[in-house]
Amino acid sequence: MQIVQVLAYGILLGGIYALLASGVTLIFGVLDVVNVAQGAFLVFSALFTWQIWDMFGIEPLLLIPVMGAMMGLIGWAIYRGMLIRVAPQGPGMTVLLMFGVALTMEGILNLGFGNKFKSVTPAYFTQSLNIGEIVLPYPQLISGVLAIVVLGAIYAYLRFSWAGRALRASSQNRDGAALVGISHKKAAGFAFAIGAATAGVGGVLLAIMYPIFPATHYEWIARLLGVVVLGGFGSIPGAIIAALLLGTMESFAATFVPQWAPLFFYGTILLILVFRPQGIMGSKTREDVA
Amino acid sequence: MSESTVLTMDKVEAGYGGGLVLQGLSLELTKGTITCIVGPNGAGKSTVLRVISGLLKPSSGTVTLGSEAIGGKAPADILRMGVAQVPQSGALFPDMSVHENVLLGGYPIRRERALLKSRIAMVEEMMPIVKERAHDKAGNLSGGQRRMVEISRALILDPSLVLMDEPSLGLDPKSVAKVAAVIRNMASEGRTVLLVEQNVRLGMNLATHGVVMEQGTVRLTGDSAGIADNPEVASMYLGKAIGK
Repeated sequence: MQIVQVLAYGILLGGIYALLASGVTLIFGVLDVVNVAQGAFLVFSALFTWQIWDMFGIEPLLLIPVMGAMMGLIGWAIYRGMLIRVAPQGPGMTVLLMFGVALTMEGILNLGFGNKFKSVTPAYFTQSLNIGEIVLPYPQLISGVLAIVVLGAIYAYLRFSWAGRALRASSQNRDGAALVGISHKKAAGFAFAIGAATAGVGGVLLAIMYPIFPATHYEWIARLLGVVVLGGFGSIPGAIIAALLLGTMESFAATFVPQWAPLFFYGTILLILVFRPQGIMGSKTREDVA
Repeated sequence: MSESTVLTMDKVEAGYGGGLVLQGLSLELTKGTITCIVGPNGAGKSTVLRVISGLLKPSSGTVTLGSEAIGGKAPADILRMGVAQVPQSGALFPDMSVHENVLLGGYPIRRERALLKSRIAMVEEMMPIVKERAHDKAGNLSGGQRRMVEISRALILDPSLVLMDEPSLGLDPKSVAKVAAVIRNMASEGRTVLLVEQNVRLGMNLATHGVVMEQGTVRLTGDSAGIADNPEVASMYLGKAIGK
């Protein structure tokens, strides 16, 4: 029974990793930009969620659309205001720019929130769903399920809407997309907004699961990049498979050999990079970023 | 300029960065004709197509489509005015299905659903591959099949002028014959085709009109038979075997 419990827990955790990493991989797929500020976006959203919850006592899950829209808008503004100018100078410069954005956001958050852990603790924070012997804490259960639902909605949107088609076309063949009248700048701005919005949604989910403080963004971006590298840069299905794999592995390791959990997570990525450097679903190695 | 003139280029100069590639080029295309541009490497053949489709702004001179000046307009606007381009190769979205690739050709008319639907039906009828391989990924098609899908995608906007850069490049003879038949078919429907071809013999066989370019200007123009028979052209580009 314990195995089922650990597996369920791992899938829920993997669902959250999948949502967050798909934002990073979507941005890379369309813009060729490794968004190392995704962790900072995430923590930004989580701390704002805490602030609103702390002030008004509002149910944090209601903030999902608000934080998604807010981070989407901030992401779009960062693209139009800064990234668009630096992008022609190549992936090296955009990584530096996004690292600068992450550090600036961390600084702002330190000023606003202080370097202290904040936790959003709604009524269900300490409750859990018990099915027979399986115990699933509500924060993990709700966050995991919502992450999977939001990810499914994004996937369907990219698959079936014209905006999604334009975005995928631009990511697969920029010149070919221009020939049918798709503006790369518009598609890129849209991709960056959606990528940042996943961090907005993810921040709310994170806030009800873990204590957050500004510098935790380093830990998150390390994990997200790990998932994206394992899945293959630019591949959303790859990111989902890698996220579920790493989530499950982390859950098992944390249960049976807790002191080795981080080693399992990063060790898997190391092995993949040695034996399949393009990742699970990646079609080729991107020399410019790998 | 007669009524049947589709496109006029007058003393067009254009280039990349410093040097001018087109140096006062003038050209006129008549409705329903197939015009083939030939010339040595670096003569500016592909640049002519890039200027017409709006990918490159002319630095001087005029480009007129029908009665409207299009020189310097955005590619998306020129596309909507009925000028479609089929580039040399690799214009498809490899991870998307053939159907989605063709559908995306209709991006500029995506809000006119009924029109888009009827255009897709039209293209499916003209190009059987669009229906036969609808659900296959474009990246899994052969070179000839890909070229057919590229042409299908360009036809969705029902263009009056189709620009083609080396339509025979990298294709086996059977596929070349198929592409040639499609191009002739387009012209017989009243579309105007402007193509650039390295394979001069093939190009002149297919075309109704020929343009010989040299160093960014038009050296010679006329009906394709006349161009192919021209002794100067024959010795310069066609090799001696053609003249017989």
